[in-house]
Amino acid sequence: MGKIAVLTNDLQADVVHKTPERTSAMAEAQPHFTAFLDEMRRRGHAVYHLQLVNLPDDPNVERDLDGTLPLQRGSEGAAILADFLAEGDVVVEKNKDSGFYETELHDRLQEAGVDTVLVTGLQTQICVQTTAADAFFRGYNVWVPSDCVVSGNPEDRDRALEWLGGYCATVADSKEIFAVLDAEGGLPRKVVKILP
Amino acid sequence: MTSPVTGSGEVVLDHGSGAQLSHELISLIVETLGDVYIGEMEDSAMLSLPASRIAMTTDSFVVDPPFFGNGDIGKIAVCGTVNDLAVVGARPLYLTLGMILETGLPIDRLVRVLTSIRETAREAGVLIVCGDTKVVRKGEADQIYLNTAGVGVFERTPLRMRDVRPGDRVVLSGPIGNHTVHLLSIREGLGFEQRVLSDCAPLNGLLDDLFTAVGEGAVHSVRDVTRGGLAAVLHEYAASSGHTIRIEQAALPVQFETVMATDMLGINAIHAANEGCVCLFVDPSAEQEVLAALRSHRYGADAVTVGEVTEDAGAVVLMRDADGRDSVVEELQGSELPRLC
Repeated sequence: MGKIAVLTNDLQADVVHKTPERTSAMAEAQPHFTAFLDEMRRRGHAVYHLQLVNLPDDPNVERDLDGTLPLQRGSEGAAILADFLAEGDVVVEKNKDSGFYETELHDRLQEAGVDTVLVTGLQTQICVQTTAADAFFRGYNVWVPSDCVVSGNPEDRDRALEWLGGYCATVADSKEIFAVLDAEGGLPRKVVKILP
Repeated sequence: MTSPVTGSGEVVLDHGSGAQLSHELISLIVETLGDVYIGEMEDSAMLSLPASRIAMTTDSFVVDPPFFGNGDIGKIAVCGTVNDLAVVGARPLYLTLGMILETGLPIDRLVRVLTSIRETAREAGVLIVCGDTKVVRKGEADQIYLNTAGVGVFERTPLRMRDVRPGDRVVLSGPIGNHTVHLLSIREGLGFEQRVLSDCAPLNGLLDDLFTAVGEGAVHSVRDVTRGGLAAVLHEYAASSGHTIRIEQAALPVQFETVMATDMLGINAIHAANEGCVCLFVDPSAEQEVLAALRSHRYGADAVTVGEVTEDAGAVVLMRDADGRDSVVEELQGSELPRLC
């Protein structure tokens, strides 16, 4: 059986605090989110933080109203929030929605022997959804802890979770995930029927 | 090629000046296009045509990004115009090539596009007979825009929209939605780009094989399913014929990953642009023969009947779901997804 890793998406001030709705949603999720990460670390599972960095020459990057480029490499707003970081965590830079898109994530997970990923962070309907889909296409067993994903609009989160559960991931809250881990020693792979 | 002006191997404004740097750039273009370029550097190409009736078309290409997983703007520029000629029953022969280049475009990227044009033109059996290059300042264009005009000859009866009639089967040559999903995935890094590839392909070979195999009268009309997707094509034909066109939802060929992506993005595959799919209106007596001929070609391997032109008056397009319920397929008012070709 391969190893399990947690992937977080965009736990950065420029993303989390982009709107009051996101800030509020994250404040609500943070206590059990950080508790989930701590417990996964305690159980020996690695945490990979996907850090969104906007490249100045990317024509598809969304700029602030005043034209400023958010999430610039090395900026305070692009740093992983300290509350979610711990010693031993891995930070992987990404420049697009999916954490696998032209990044070193897949190689690092393969080197580490990871075959199961739990995809967390924000926003659920963008980076979590695309990273989970990409992981699924690359052959990973994908789980999404429903209480560790965040969206500014809860309807967007719910719709994304429904999509994830329907197509490519097992969606369960963190308590259920720990129960499965305790009972089975691992996280079973969802059987997904790919139509011809 | 390194520019003496910038020393950086990039396109500079003087490459479009008509002076020495322009000549250097043109030499590079001609050299890269190789034997598919037959221009003689006159102000017009002078050509002999082996037919009295010709087809002409033109198209401009602004695809974003200009380079994608299994193609680029050069390939699309050849395929788009070749396919426009082929679907009316013409044999594509000649293309023009117009390029608008943004200052700062790396020369090696230009060479990539030209190489792609050469290889696609070779596959399609067409020649580039003349061209034009303009250079604009930084920010006035996005890297590279192309225009191709094409000339083809009719060696068969032209195919026209007006020849479609009730009872005609609506046949697709392949899956829909893939080109759109591939490009959107690359733009935003959505994770589908490795699984869903663009369908961009020159389809004149497929159609030539088909017409040879089935003879005249079997196929009444053909349209390439590009901007606006299948829905736009069907609306055009419904309006032209004055009859309702009904398609079966379950019959639509949509790759599983494309279903996932379109569901995620909130778009419908029948509105999605394609670059290597044609919609054929086929005499019902020839349906199986047409399908067999299409499926024998690599670009038509997944050909399938998706619906028919009904006897019902009224220029509407209906989609029948698995429970037999019909719903109206709306035509989009505008382009929700710009710069896909």
